[in-house]
Amino acid sequence: MSLRSDAELVHAAAHGDADAFGELSRRYRDRYTRFAVRMIGSRDEAEDVLQSAFIRAYRALDRCRDASRFGAWMYQIVANECRTYVVRRGRRDARLVRDESSLRAVVDRASTDRQETLEDVEYALQQIDADQREAFVMKHVEELSYDEMAEITGVSVSALKMRVKRACARLRELLEEVYDV
Amino acid sequence: MSDRSHDQDAAFAERVGHVLRAPERLSDDFDRALVAAIRNDQPTAAAMRRRSSMLSRDWWAAPPALSRAANLALAASIAALVAIGAWTIVPTASPTNHVVAAGSVHDTVTFVRFVFVGQARSVSLVGDFNQWGATPLPLRATGTGDAWAASVPVASGRHEYAFIVDGKHWVADPFAPRESDEFDTNSSVITVGL
Repeated sequence: MSLRSDAELVHAAAHGDADAFGELSRRYRDRYTRFAVRMIGSRDEAEDVLQSAFIRAYRALDRCRDASRFGAWMYQIVANECRTYVVRRGRRDARLVRDESSLRAVVDRASTDRQETLEDVEYALQQIDADQREAFVMKHVEELSYDEMAEITGVSVSALKMRVKRACARLRELLEEVYDV
Repeated sequence: MSDRSHDQDAAFAERVGHVLRAPERLSDDFDRALVAAIRNDQPTAAAMRRRSSMLSRDWWAAPPALSRAANLALAASIAALVAIGAWTIVPTASPTNHVVAAGSVHDTVTFVRFVFVGQARSVSLVGDFNQWGATPLPLRATGTGDAWAASVPVASGRHEYAFIVDGKHWVADPFAPRESDEFDTNSSVITVGL
């Protein structure tokens, strides 16, 4: 594991050191993986989106104003990439995500109650608006503060609170039929 | 909003959030693929690699020790292009469109999703984009257990590839145009971004 700081790695990567950027990726990727999977609804597609996000970041390293805050800057790019992907994918592929999840559950005979619950909640999450989903995941899954969310999304705190509230209401509607929530 | 209603909403959000906080992991080859994609993103480095890959095909042109399994005859596979935000079937090059892009320089990388459908214990991908196996590219089993997939960064241009099934069977993609070498070993052809 490299002892170099984020700023040192960003500087090296900006000068063409691909391994330095690989180190940054290893340092931060786990932080974004769950967020991307919850936003996209498919692990494989989320991985593709993360790859694209990291490549986009690599190309834009010279625009990372504060290299010591690479993690926060990268989070913005990941969120943007997920948002763009979801918008473009549209509803047709959302149905495919459900099919994929169902298949996975059928194959995984040893799935626990927790996994089945996760599948249903993931499905419900995919049914709500992307903006609301993003706000809910940041707040209640990644447990970010509203100030952090505002920095990443560029949306006001009051608007984010409204999105989270609406997301909760919609999720409750969707899950009421399955669980006694 | 009453305090009770607020508490109920908070409790609901926490319960749902708790479920969704289950950890997620990327595949083990994520970093390697990313660094490879970044290196490919540099036009000069990409051009150098393509030249070396043209030279490194010699080992593969030797008579193959690999035999194709008859029970894989029904195996079906597709290569699909994952553009950012969209799934698109790649229009593959016709067999007559045999232009090697070794001398050109590309500055874009596209993730191509290679899918092999069929029973197997392991499946990996070899092609000119990984110097025919110099960099391992294992496919991962999908949920149904009879399909294997991997997303691979590929530079724009025409590429040849094949699947290695169970570590020993060389299988060309039945749904892609084929290219044969002088020893009648088939590989498949894909054209990206042209």
